[in-house]
Amino acid sequence: MKWTRQGKLVNGPIYGLMLVLLLVGSFVQMNQTYPFWRKNYMPKVTDLGQLTGEQLLFAFAGFREMIAGILWVRADSFFDNGDYDSILPIIRLVTYLDPKQIDVYATGMWHIAYNFTDQENRADRRNIPIAVAFGEEGARNNDYTYELFYETGWLWYHRIQDNFPMAVTWFEQAAERKDILPARHNLLSHAKLRAGDYKGALKTWYELLEEAEKEMERNKSQRSNYAQRDTVEGNLDNLLIRLTQRGYFARENGWYDQGNYDTKPPFDVKFSASVTVTESRVMLVEGTWNVFPVGTRVKMILRDADYPNAGAAGLDWEGGDANNFSAPVGLTYVQDELFVRNRRFRKSIDLSRDPTIYPFVKDKYILEFYYTPRVAPEHIKDKFGYNGEGMTDSNFLNTEIRENQRVIYWKTEVTRDQILRRGEFGMEGVIPVFKTPNYVAPRVRNPEDDLVTPGTRRVEG
Amino acid sequence: MNAVLSIARTTLGEAIRRRVLLVILLIALLLLVIAPGMNGLTARQSQTVLLSLILGVLQLSSAVIAIVLTVYMIPNEVERRTIYTILSKPVLRWQFLLGKYLGAVSALGLMIMLMTGTMIAVFAAFQGPNVETLASLARVAMMYFVQMCLLAAVAIFFSTFVQPVVNFFLSGGVYLVGTVFGSLFATIAESQQLPQAVRVAAQIVMLIVPNFGQYNVQNSVINSGAQIVGEGIYYTNLAVYGVVYISILLLGAMLVFDRREV
Repeated sequence: MKWTRQGKLVNGPIYGLMLVLLLVGSFVQMNQTYPFWRKNYMPKVTDLGQLTGEQLLFAFAGFREMIAGILWVRADSFFDNGDYDSILPIIRLVTYLDPKQIDVYATGMWHIAYNFTDQENRADRRNIPIAVAFGEEGARNNDYTYELFYETGWLWYHRIQDNFPMAVTWFEQAAERKDILPARHNLLSHAKLRAGDYKGALKTWYELLEEAEKEMERNKSQRSNYAQRDTVEGNLDNLLIRLTQRGYFARENGWYDQGNYDTKPPFDVKFSASVTVTESRVMLVEGTWNVFPVGTRVKMILRDADYPNAGAAGLDWEGGDANNFSAPVGLTYVQDELFVRNRRFRKSIDLSRDPTIYPFVKDKYILEFYYTPRVAPEHIKDKFGYNGEGMTDSNFLNTEIRENQRVIYWKTEVTRDQILRRGEFGMEGVIPVFKTPNYVAPRVRNPEDDLVTPGTRRVEG
Repeated sequence: MNAVLSIARTTLGEAIRRRVLLVILLIALLLLVIAPGMNGLTARQSQTVLLSLILGVLQLSSAVIAIVLTVYMIPNEVERRTIYTILSKPVLRWQFLLGKYLGAVSALGLMIMLMTGTMIAVFAAFQGPNVETLASLARVAMMYFVQMCLLAAVAIFFSTFVQPVVNFFLSGGVYLVGTVFGSLFATIAESQQLPQAVRVAAQIVMLIVPNFGQYNVQNSVINSGAQIVGEGIYYTNLAVYGVVYISILLLGAMLVFDRREV
């Protein structure tokens, strides 16, 4: 083939060569470079409307990490000023621009799940599904490290406290990553225990002990290895003792009925409650709980009757949208914890100062009271057990709403007019009061006068 | 081949004497040196911010140098009529063009090397001599070099038939399309909601316009913990992809220049 004729290039072969090269280049791009680039480097191009033109240009011209870094620097000042709302779009933008910024994901999840509270420091729980979805996205984008699996697990374990098998699932995925810190690995066992899997928890402690001892042998000069071994050993000892005293091994081996275990006989907590709507969106919650040692917190929920994905005393916390950091508008979900002192609880809940968090636009609401020993302090669990074996209530014991658990549960319906004190429930009309049939008004009206007993005494059966 | 190398050598000499390029280089070096000042703005992520900033400066400066260096190359020779002296010798036009390109990329390589050296020194001075990170920085700079060679080829191609000012915007435009809109076209091409014709059109654009965005491999270096399996093979493929597209552009430039009245 002649490439030149009389010192000039010949068109045909050159065009042919260019075409062949174009095919080779396209093949390399489509089959080799593009799929790899798309998976590992390509920025997302959706939902970036909040960037200015110049930022957008820079972001995609290869400087997206720089833009992400500068935006995150800007977020720092918002944290300092307490301007929490302004941080949300920055978090979203930064993680769009650079999905490998683990710190931004972790901080963002924490920020969304923990920092948005009402005037009385109750979390805006409508945000939690968003935080969970954001954590899931972060874990997907950074599956080489344990960090975001752990952080998402932590949300389930510590913030949601309602679906511990999910916490276990996330902690297990974190534990599969080699870079997990030993102290964080320990949490898997705690989560298993709260999920009701005491055998799994024991197995994990034994594995961790073996690992800790090996690590100690491997690196004798590292003091933290000794600390980890001691921690694991202490936790394992505690668990063995507790499982024994609470009759778990006896139950497993069929001699529970013959022994005198801490969880026997089940203790009647004598739950009762009364909710009085004193003013529009203001409630006085009172009740009884026949447990003297401090440490009990009864969960109270007031939510739209048709709140999406709501169940008994909880939600499906997985339904969030990580692309939209705004809490769902027009939905109401109040969750509070009622602290028990001297066998009673009493709390005034004022929702009137947070109309955006608690809009109360629906006509019907569900009011729920719920207690599970799974999240109780150990001195309470000594009596009640992990699954409520040592706890009963002649009126409100429920074995259906939570699998393999004995919990206390009561619910009633409330209307919008009752909460807002309108119509027949106006300030001059009927005072809305919702109470369990067994509720008896307390003799001591001022709880500040109560004697508070330190939480060191075990529950007597 | 001797003719090509002689022209390349001369071009390199001319390039490193050009004041405008030296000024751009100086500004880039200055920015690299003062970049650690950004660290004072943030308590966390100082390394991430520093790395993203210095790599950003390197890339942006390299792109400007690549375009400014090449857009004037052929038109200046024609304007000053020095091209007649060269072409009157036993030098074919394609040899002249190839020599010019090689000279340009050599100059570009030298300048990128100088900036990379400064960048590595600055990073080592402020964050400590972490060999792994420093090697990664050098690797990213190498990918930028391939990217800029491709950009220089685009500019050389256009310089055979358009004026320098137009070429400046044309080459910049192609670079922009190849980086800014690379991701956009990729998203359009994969979107199931868009009509088939639009998706095919986006795919054709992706196939024709060199995807400069693929050379932006700094993410795993900036986020130090990030691990990407198979990066070595990816870099090799990128180099192949770059060489193929550079060859296409140079062949196109040779064809145009071969038939052009000068």
